Amino acid sequence: MTPTHHLHTLDVQGLRISLPGTARPVLDGVDLHVGAGETVALVGESGSGKTLTSRSALNLLPPGAVVEGAVRVRGEDVLTMNADQLRALSTGTVSMIFQDPRAALNPLRRIGDFLVESVTLTGSMSRADATARAVELLRAVGLDESALRKYPGQVSGGMLQRVMIAAALMGDPALVLADEPTTALDVTTQAEVIALLAELRARFGTGLLFVTHDLDLAAAISDRVYVMYAGRIAESGPAEALFARPRHPYTAALLASTPRLEAPQGRLAAIDGQPPDLRQELVGCPFAARCHLATEICGRQAPEPRPAPGSPHHQAACHHSDRLEGSPVDAR
Amino acid sequence: MPDNVLEAVGLHRAYGSVRAVDDVSFTLPEGGSLGIVGESGSGKTTTARIIVGLEQADAGDVLVRGQARGARRRGRAARLARAREVQMVFQDPLLSLDPRASVEQVLRETLSLHFPDADHDRRVRELLDQVGLGTRAADARPRQLSGGQRQRVAIARALAVEPAVLVLDEAVAALDVSVQAQILNLLADIREETRIGYLFITHDLGVVRCVTDDVIVMRRGRVVEAGPTAEVLAAPRHPYTRLLLESVPRPGWDPEAIAAARRAL
Amino acid sequence: MTAVLTRRPGLSKLRTGRSPLHLICLGLVALVTAAALLAPWLVPYDPNAVDLANALAAPSPEHLLGVDAAGRDTFSRLLLGARTSLLGPLGVVVFSTVAGVAVGMAAGWRGGWLDSVLSRSTELVFAFPGMLLAILIISIHGEGLLAPVVALSIAYLPYVSRLTRSLVLAERERPYVSAYQVQGHSALQICLRHVLPNIAPVVLAQSTINFGYALMDLAGLSFLGLGVPALTPDWGRMVFDGQAAIQHGYPLSAILPCVFIVLTVVAFNVVGERWADRVARRTP
Repeated sequence: MTPTHHLHTLDVQGLRISLPGTARPVLDGVDLHVGAGETVALVGESGSGKTLTSRSALNLLPPGAVVEGAVRVRGEDVLTMNADQLRALSTGTVSMIFQDPRAALNPLRRIGDFLVESVTLTGSMSRADATARAVELLRAVGLDESALRKYPGQVSGGMLQRVMIAAALMGDPALVLADEPTTALDVTTQAEVIALLAELRARFGTGLLFVTHDLDLAAAISDRVYVMYAGRIAESGPAEALFARPRHPYTAALLASTPRLEAPQGRLAAIDGQPPDLRQELVGCPFAARCHLATEICGRQAPEPRPAPGSPHHQAACHHSDRLEGSPVDAR
Repeated sequence: MPDNVLEAVGLHRAYGSVRAVDDVSFTLPEGGSLGIVGESGSGKTTTARIIVGLEQADAGDVLVRGQARGARRRGRAARLARAREVQMVFQDPLLSLDPRASVEQVLRETLSLHFPDADHDRRVRELLDQVGLGTRAADARPRQLSGGQRQRVAIARALAVEPAVLVLDEAVAALDVSVQAQILNLLADIREETRIGYLFITHDLGVVRCVTDDVIVMRRGRVVEAGPTAEVLAAPRHPYTRLLLESVPRPGWDPEAIAAARRAL
Repeated sequence: MTAVLTRRPGLSKLRTGRSPLHLICLGLVALVTAAALLAPWLVPYDPNAVDLANALAAPSPEHLLGVDAAGRDTFSRLLLGARTSLLGPLGVVVFSTVAGVAVGMAAGWRGGWLDSVLSRSTELVFAFPGMLLAILIISIHGEGLLAPVVALSIAYLPYVSRLTRSLVLAERERPYVSAYQVQGHSALQICLRHVLPNIAPVVLAQSTINFGYALMDLAGLSFLGLGVPALTPDWGRMVFDGQAAIQHGYPLSAILPCVFIVLTVVAFNVVGERWADRVARRTP
């Protein structure tokens, strides 16, 4: 076993996934990493490939997918693992929190059974130990042990999502994949769940890959942000930099089109058109057709990620990054 | 009061012991836009369904241009008149359209119900144009359209009836941000052109700020705050409104303080 | 999809994803249907022409499938028998589908007391064995195809109405139905123009499965000598007529209609099940 301290918890390199019946890869050269104890947000609209990217960490890929590249969890390649290794991975090292907790839980099983089973079925923990751990985690997420005996139908959506978070932490994972964990929740509940995730991360040192469509939420909670568009990483970098000085026109347009409390009333700066269809082949930059900066080169040559001047970790895949000045929120 | 296109007076609706809607009143001026904000369980959707007539209020009245909406009148003419008072756009455009009907069929069906003698070809083109859909989309079925396009179809279908008020129940919540902005702009344009009144049901305060003149905030079936949108958002008086505002993610956002405030409330 | 098609456990084992079987069954259904339609022009002999000199003759160029104990040509009787044997179930399926959809739709859409009344009364029919009901009606009404068809239609109605009711209940919760209500469409318009076409594939798949069962039940009735008049060629009746001949070592005139009954029932079942599976997969 290689030492893990200098390795990324999750390291995705050049991930390219093609599905049958599509003209272009669903993921096209995705590079992404999550350091130990780091919170990373993966932002994109529906169909951008953000969910598929996060699921690749558990090798949860649709049938018929053709995969190139590497997905490593603590240095071990997930894509070449066999079924037993994957099961060990998903019960121990990597866990998932889903968007809709109600859909992810069997309504006829008690919450306690659900929590305990996730670790006892693999034999990694005895039932008594697992119950003790479940109680500890339920307390950590602000519930008490009476929740163990309840059925999913007896608790609210916000509470259920806290149960899911507790379940995700049962195996003491190094990485939690949270796929839109607050989208189905009310805003005030969302804040509570986010606060909880932040606290738990600090306490248990878990890496968090937070998949969301909400750029503001991503910026508010994460250390680094990746913005995906049409299966590629459009921009990545520290949350504040990306929010204040976006270097990809798509990020800038997303920020400008979000209805915001602070912005002046009136029309929003909407992005015309739609994301490219999977049935069409992509040449050049995928955003070119909707981009106001696009020139001839954008339709011809796909841009490579380039670092911002003086900020090597802030990268954007755009030929015209330097023409974007200031924040679109200020500009409006 | 003839200059109010829609008025709700003391609406009540209970399911068993749960008071889903508890003494809700509001007015929507002609050509105005009123937001109803609240979280799940606040009663905002039940209020909307009472307004359009999908639910009956236990008590209270809904007035359109000063006339009570006769919920119990039967017969074709009364039904059509009721439909021309209030129309609705639903949250999920895919589910709110018949999966088998093409865009053109959807519009034609509505037109032939309400305006059997009009020139339907011309009107279908007008409507598609009004919501920014090309005539190429006319033959498509809902499944072949994108989320934004589907919601445009649903808006066109509601506009085909030429209603006085359009109720939008989380009409942009299921859309991606970039598409959501397109639809919000479209709705603003339509209101400018037609002076139609909007009742905007939403949980998203950013959306409220963007498209409404006035807003009411609902919690557990009751109206906790009401007023002009700009005022309510700038200087909320009720602690719940403050909590809602603070809960919106932004840079420097402190979820823990919000969680504490929520527990305190 | 919460609605579950009613399948008898034994035959549902035949459900299969393999397409050769499905294609064979589809071909068989087509063949039997074509035979029934074209029978009057295809038969070499009058099915009731008695040729006692040739009784129990083995297959020969003149009589392709031999002759039965009464000296009638088996091939001609099989062909014409397909007509009665398919016409009966067709009547059962058409009537039970139309009435079942009407009852189920009214119960599912209106709910309340109407639902209670309709659901309880169809359950009452459910509790009463279909064959018994048929025998009862035949004994009152006398001979003829109509009585067993009506009786089995009533017996099969609950299968369709229960399915329709549950489908309508699920369908009316969908926002598009609310949308049409808000638009000012009447309940009847919404039901007929939108709900019915959306649930039709599932109901028709159930009816196709019912066809096979009705065929078996009707054949059983005519084997018992009930329903079909004595001289009418009918598969169930042929089995009855031929059973004495089996004891004399001439099984063909009884075995063949048996084989056809089994094959047709199986074919309709496989086609129906396959259709039901495809419909179930398509609806999210």
